[in-house]
Amino acid sequence: MKNPFDDFKEHRMREREIPLDSIIESRDTVMSNIIKGYEKLLEEEVKELVWLVQYNTVIKAYTLAEKVVKEFDYRAEDIEEFCYELDSTDKIPYLITGPAGIYISTLCNYVKEEEIYLKLNDLKTQINLLGYRLPVGKKVIVEGNLGDFTGIGLEGGELVVEGNAKNYTGAGMKSGRIRVTKNIGLHTGEWMMGGEVFVGGRVRGMGKIVDGKVYEDNKLIYPRNYRQSNVYY
Amino acid sequence: MVPEEIIKKIWPKVRKKHLFPEIPNPKVSEGSENVALELKNKQITINAGFHDKIARKMDAEAVVEALLDHGISHYTFCPWDFHTHLRLFAEAKRVIKDKDRAKRAAGLFMDVVADTHCVKRKKTPLPELYKHIDKGKVDEVIASLYQRIWGVDLGAKEDEGVVRRLARIPYLDKKQWDKSIQKFSRVIKVLLEAEEEQDRQSGNQENPMGEHGLDGYTLEEIDQGLRDFANKDVGLKEFKETFEDFKEELKEAGYGMEGGMGRGEGSPLDADLIYYMKLAENYSVPIKKVPMEKRGHLNPHSHCPWEIGRPFQDVDVWTSFGKIMPGITQTWNKIEGSTFGEREAVPDCIIIIDSSGSMTNPRKNLSHAVLGAACASDAYLRNDAEVAVYNFSDAPMGGKAILDFTSERTKIYGILCKYFGGGTALNLNELDPLLKASEKPDIFIITDMKITNLGKVIGYLNTIDNRITAVYIGENTYALRFREAMEKKKNVSFYNVTKKEDIPKIVLGKIREYFQGDL
Repeated sequence: MKNPFDDFKEHRMREREIPLDSIIESRDTVMSNIIKGYEKLLEEEVKELVWLVQYNTVIKAYTLAEKVVKEFDYRAEDIEEFCYELDSTDKIPYLITGPAGIYISTLCNYVKEEEIYLKLNDLKTQINLLGYRLPVGKKVIVEGNLGDFTGIGLEGGELVVEGNAKNYTGAGMKSGRIRVTKNIGLHTGEWMMGGEVFVGGRVRGMGKIVDGKVYEDNKLIYPRNYRQSNVYY
Repeated sequence: MVPEEIIKKIWPKVRKKHLFPEIPNPKVSEGSENVALELKNKQITINAGFHDKIARKMDAEAVVEALLDHGISHYTFCPWDFHTHLRLFAEAKRVIKDKDRAKRAAGLFMDVVADTHCVKRKKTPLPELYKHIDKGKVDEVIASLYQRIWGVDLGAKEDEGVVRRLARIPYLDKKQWDKSIQKFSRVIKVLLEAEEEQDRQSGNQENPMGEHGLDGYTLEEIDQGLRDFANKDVGLKEFKETFEDFKEELKEAGYGMEGGMGRGEGSPLDADLIYYMKLAENYSVPIKKVPMEKRGHLNPHSHCPWEIGRPFQDVDVWTSFGKIMPGITQTWNKIEGSTFGEREAVPDCIIIIDSSGSMTNPRKNLSHAVLGAACASDAYLRNDAEVAVYNFSDAPMGGKAILDFTSERTKIYGILCKYFGGGTALNLNELDPLLKASEKPDIFIITDMKITNLGKVIGYLNTIDNRITAVYIGENTYALRFREAMEKKKNVSFYNVTKKEDIPKIVLGKIREYFQGDL
């Protein structure tokens, strides 16, 4: 009787190496480095699982994040992917939006590309503090809504938000440009030292601005028609 | 050589290469020269027009082989089955929101996965085919992606940013397909919008490698796919949404069409009904049979006076005093009856389901009551019994729906899924005709027991000795009261359902004494 498996005797699974294999391998390595870096930041900065946005805590977290991200290479796409990894609990045990925002901002500030495009429309959580200290020559375009403290301490870069941003947008920014296509929250430009904030929709409330310009629907609302801080319009 | 002859020549080789898939011999048709092949019920059909067009640019045998590789890879790797197809579509829709674009995105993703699988694991002329195929804007991007991830020159112009993002997706990792298609959809969303606009102007909307509709699946595969999708992946809302998106195609494929020939539009496919049907099919609720045998012959039942012309064989000689005389002679009235015998059978069942305001609306959220009742009705139908339904809210005020004994599943589910949402009261008089319409039917009552005339219900149920399975949803004092009042009745079994996993624990028609043997 003929063995029915004879036909398979000569068959060898031919698996050829294709570039996709190495692309995925290097992507996995990079993502693992980024995630490890974030965990290290949490370990150092968020021992009690509580993190308050204060001047010194932000600076401290950023300094540590700078040290971490300088240790590996990554690309703009890795940053977007990391945002989605943060959103799901598969690989990252918890998302603390403050340090996460600082870490993502640091990644943006040190990535090789000058223009970073982040499609974040499908994120379940809004990222705070994105755009922190964005330097001259860098442009971050975000598709989706952002949380509080967007673009704080901006240092000459350009941050475009194709969506809404929440409170304290542009707080303490030194120079550069923030463009929000929809609406913006309270305390806009609090202690802003310079630069411009363009809002396509409504500005819910202004902060105490030192210097700089704020536009609402293409009309200059600071400094020309100064509005009282945190007054609802 | 014509494509038919090429197929004859290379089909054994291609089959061997793909480890002998169970696919019928491919066919050739005179189709559009813009679409390469069609997949219908596992049948691959190559369009001769397309073949001839590409065969001018590359070896004719290689064209056929590449097309067969592509078609077979869909069967052997991605999507593999209808359940995966639905899952991928649902994930794409989550990102893209638009039904048609999500279908296109899922189709493109399945193409990339199937083709990449084939290029990596088999010797295939697919790259050469992609080199010569006419490409639209999105096809050009996909070809650039292939160029990047396969490491071959396909002459496609690269959109660096888009291709770099697409190339990072682990297409061959099945476990990550849900996430992968989300990433894929996020990148190509804008391209699909642009393509749609372009197509609207040019009137061209065909995928060169064929569309991924439901034609590729048999009705059984569609049924299985829906069952798995309802059970494993999604809740009612998402199931409904996905089902609605495929409704027209399902109808065209003949899914859910009951009966045979005839005229008329046919009943519309109801996503809620299908959801509960598919979910219920995943549970098997056991029924205890009762010792009952239908002998099928006539038995003496009562006497009546003999009249001239009536047969003599029915005369009861003992009560007729040995005389044949009208007025004195008695004959037997005979009726066919079920008598208790050795064979066990399942009686019919009346399902009493509560759809008052305190119950979950089955059309909005997963209703454990409807699922439980659906499982019970399926169990009786599987045992060749019939089911009647009494769906009540405030029945005396008109909040009710009654279905007589039937074995039509769709009708039963239609009544089970009705939701009144008012008060809760049973009109017990309406149960009598149902109880009389069948031979001692079982009663299955599913409610949260917050019934305003609970006392009357308890009193009524105490008077009947039919097997009663009482299922109460959640725990409350009313349920406790019902349970305490009925506990001594040996024909009543109680079950509590708080989650869908509790449903298989129900044993229908379980009479305690039937097991304890103290009859």
